[in-house]
Amino acid sequence: MTSDTSSATSSSTARELERALERVRQLCGQLESERESAEIDLDGSHVQAIERDREELSSRLVEAEHQLGRLMNLYVATFQLHATLDPGEVQATIAEIAVDLLGAERFALLLRIEDAEGCEVALSKGLEHDVSGLYSTGVYNGGDALVDAALDDGVLRLGPADTSEVIAAVPLRVQEAIVGVLVVLKLFDHKAILRSGDRDLLDLLAAHAASALFAARVYANTDRKLRTLESLVQLVRGT
Amino acid sequence: MQPRKILVVDDSKLIHKMFEVLLRQYSLVHAYDGLEALENLGRHAEIDLILLDINMPRMSGLEFLNQVKANASFEAIPVVIISTEGKEEDTIRGLEAGAAAYIKKPFGNQELLEVIQRL
Repeated sequence: MTSDTSSATSSSTARELERALERVRQLCGQLESERESAEIDLDGSHVQAIERDREELSSRLVEAEHQLGRLMNLYVATFQLHATLDPGEVQATIAEIAVDLLGAERFALLLRIEDAEGCEVALSKGLEHDVSGLYSTGVYNGGDALVDAALDDGVLRLGPADTSEVIAAVPLRVQEAIVGVLVVLKLFDHKAILRSGDRDLLDLLAAHAASALFAARVYANTDRKLRTLESLVQLVRGT
Repeated sequence: MQPRKILVVDDSKLIHKMFEVLLRQYSLVHAYDGLEALENLGRHAEIDLILLDINMPRMSGLEFLNQVKANASFEAIPVVIISTEGKEEDTIRGLEAGAAAYIKKPFGNQELLEVIQRL
């Protein structure tokens, strides 16, 4: 092989190499561009979509947990209200619902007095700190706008209002009759307001508290009469 | 390690029922005042967590807590106070007496479960 031929071959090889290098550069550029676009896609829309899904699932989980908590409170409250026929225990349960579930520091359970005006204070807590004086005698004869309205039309009232410092006046129903009202006068300092879930509890108390209490009282009266009759029968048999 | 047996000390039957529902994965021992709780603590050696109310008849939660922490057999059992007493000084008093956590009533279920899982 002559030097001219060798030079032409080298030149041809160099050109081929240059073309190959150019092709490699193009492929590298293409790959780089595809990689960048893939990263942009992953960093952008996909990640954002995943993040949105995650946030939505997280928020649904929190909401589901709150719902579960509310339902559990309602179940437990209903269960306990109807778990006994002892009037004292039913009253204790109403107090426990007010204190432990609603966070009431001061409250009064008012029940209408048969064949008379006013309501008896059947149950209360913290009334020694109440400055209104409306409940201090053990009989409520009216005077608080929200309580009187709840007793009158059976609609739950939430306060406080201009004319009342009551936090909630919960009408108590037995069948269609308004037999009393649960008056929440103050919440614990660490529970500033009634929350949305508390409304369910107030509705539950309105529907179940009085009926449970009245059922227990009727049972206790009937049981007392039965025992009296049994004693009389035994007395008659003994003589 | 997860607590397997929990002593619930509270004079509220409602709270006992609530814990039965909420903590059904655990075995519960029930007491309605501090004295009954001490008796139960002696009977159930495997109790590894105590949920404790403060205001109770016969023996208060703080009296009970003091006795637990003074007893070498029980002092290592973590105690969670769950009370309506919500002032800062109440919390400090409870924690200084040896409680591992202080939860105010009314409490959120998740709050309680998280504390139990942490201890």
